Parts: sequence; structure tokens; C-alpha cells
Amino acid sequence: MTPLVAAAHELKAPLALVRQLALRLGDDKLTTAERQRLLHQTVLTTERALRLTSDLTKAARLDSAMFQLEPINPDQLCRDVVSELQPLFAAYGRSVAVKGRRHPLLLVANRDLLRRILLGFSDNALHYSQPGTAVHLQIQAFKKSGVVRVGVRDFGPALSSDMWRTLQKKLETAPQTIHARPESSGLGLYIASQFADAMNGRIGAVRHKDGATFYVELQASNQLSFL
Amino acid sequence: MTRVLLVEDDAWLAEVEASIITDAGYEVQIAPHAPAAIELVDSFKPEIIVLDVLLAGSTAFALLNELQSYSDTGMVPVVLCTNIADQFDAKKLKEYGVMRVVDKTTMYPEDLIAAIRSVE
Repeated sequence: MTPLVAAAHELKAPLALVRQLALRLGDDKLTTAERQRLLHQTVLTTERALRLTSDLTKAARLDSAMFQLEPINPDQLCRDVVSELQPLFAAYGRSVAVKGRRHPLLLVANRDLLRRILLGFSDNALHYSQPGTAVHLQIQAFKKSGVVRVGVRDFGPALSSDMWRTLQKKLETAPQTIHARPESSGLGLYIASQFADAMNGRIGAVRHKDGATFYVELQASNQLSFL
Repeated sequence: MTRVLLVEDDAWLAEVEASIITDAGYEVQIAPHAPAAIELVDSFKPEIIVLDVLLAGSTAFALLNELQSYSDTGMVPVVLCTNIADQFDAKKLKEYGVMRVVDKTTMYPEDLIAAIRSVE
């Protein structure tokens, strides 16, 4: 599947949903509260689709653009991402939170690209998590290798062994279109791997019996010693 | 009241479709993924299944294979409701118990109800 076909595939679902929500809004019997809820869902779904189009544009311009890499506090960035996503998660009856060290190692990244990766992983986690569960943004430092891992953990149906093998194979050969999960074209992971590559990092995944963690690993910053 | 099991992993789309089906006089239960659908097949005993293809965890075909492997569940008519309707051959899908295919990207509420009524 080419990125263009994958993009069309990924945009089909939110567009179809927006259309159905709009058709439902035409029902005269709806209460004001029901109508407002449908409108809210329409806005949030449109925003999700727009995020994807913005990421696609950014990914297409990666080669020609210069990205400033700087020391970043991953905990603060994760908290910003959580604040941004909370309305969407609440509307779906789920929550999102940061788990991990309050004062982690700084990492070297481009703030905008890392934010986009985490938004993408979180969006994916929202889709796969069970109602009432929380999605966790987790930070882990590997001091020996000088790497900081920022992951997004969901609690949903486990990936089958076949799907897991496929995912691992695709992750090893990234950047390519990666089939993350059955109904995914893998475009989100493809974009994330492009963004991670631009920051000299890499993406990966961990399978759990009750969900999965998708993560990005980036170089730890040496500036820690000055803090 | 005819019992309809709706298997759809998008919670908001499931709500909209369930409202449409309920308004048309059917009893509806929603399963967000294949394992939940299997449980509801046993407890809710649906007379019709409306099934999305691309589900979290496994595809609809894993569920269809499971349903076809038992004589009672294999008889339950299935309406496939999908964003990728153009990728299927309706004749081949009959082997899986799929009687109708509805394209989610172009369907109107009455199309979904017409498809359900046609397999009752």
C-alpha cells in the first residue's frame, strides 16, 4: 500500500463518521443535549482527521526542512499532550495520563515532531482501548545506552501472534508502510517512524496480554549534568 | 422484536447505527470487537448480525469463521457494513453467511434498515 493509498484509507473512516453524525443531526426528534453531543463529536472527529492531514504534510516536507533538535523534558511534553487530548478521551469515555518519573532524563528532540508522534500513538491507543480504561504515557530512561523511551500504553484486545510477528517484521524494515493492527493501514506508524528518523531516533512496540505499548526512543541529553 | 447484534468498534458510529436500528423497531446490542460479539451471540442470541469488517484485535472474517463453524450460529444472516465495500465480491461472501453488503461511506439510514429487512 503506497502512502497515498494509506492516507485515503485512513481518512475514509473519520469522513464516513462525520457524514453519519451529520445525517443523524437531521433527525427532528433529537433533544438539544443530543444535538450538542453530536456536534461535539463531529468537531472532535474533524480535528482528528485534520491532525492526520497536518502530519502528512509535515512528513512530506521532512527532507527539505530543517528541524531544530534541543534538550526537552519528556515529562512536561507528555503533560502538554495529555492536556491537549483530554477532551477527546473524555468524549469517548476514556482517560489519558502520564505515568513515570517526575524528573526524567532530558532527551534530544524536536518538540513539534515528538509531540506529533505522541499525539499519533495516543490517537491509536484511544481507538484500541476499552471504554473506562486509561491510556498511559510512560517515560523510561536507559542510562547505559543513553536513550530515553517515551511510550503510549493502551489496555485493549491483545494483538494476535500473527499480527505481532508482522508488526515486528515491519518495524525492523521501517520506514515502510507498517500494518500495526488489523484495520490500520499503518500510516500512523509510517509517519511516526519518519519523524523519529529525522530526530535520530526509532519507534517500536511492546505487546502485552491486555494491550500494547508503542514507543519512540531518542538520545538522552548530556545537559542533565547542568540541572 | 427481532434481535440485532451490531459489531462496530467505533463507539460513536455504533451509537448512531444502533439508534437507526432501534428507531426502526429492532432490539439492538453492541459488541465493540470479535470476542465481545462471540459472548453476545451466546447470551443475546441475535437473529441478524450487522458487522463491520475492520475491527480492533481481529478482522470480521475471524468472527465469521467462528460463526460458520457451528450449525446454529452459521444460520444467522450477516449484513456487512464497511468502509471497504468496494473490495468484496458479494457472491463469495455468501459462503461466510454474509447476505448483504452496505457501504458505510455512502449509506443513508434507510439503506441500513433496508439491508436488515431484506435478510429477516
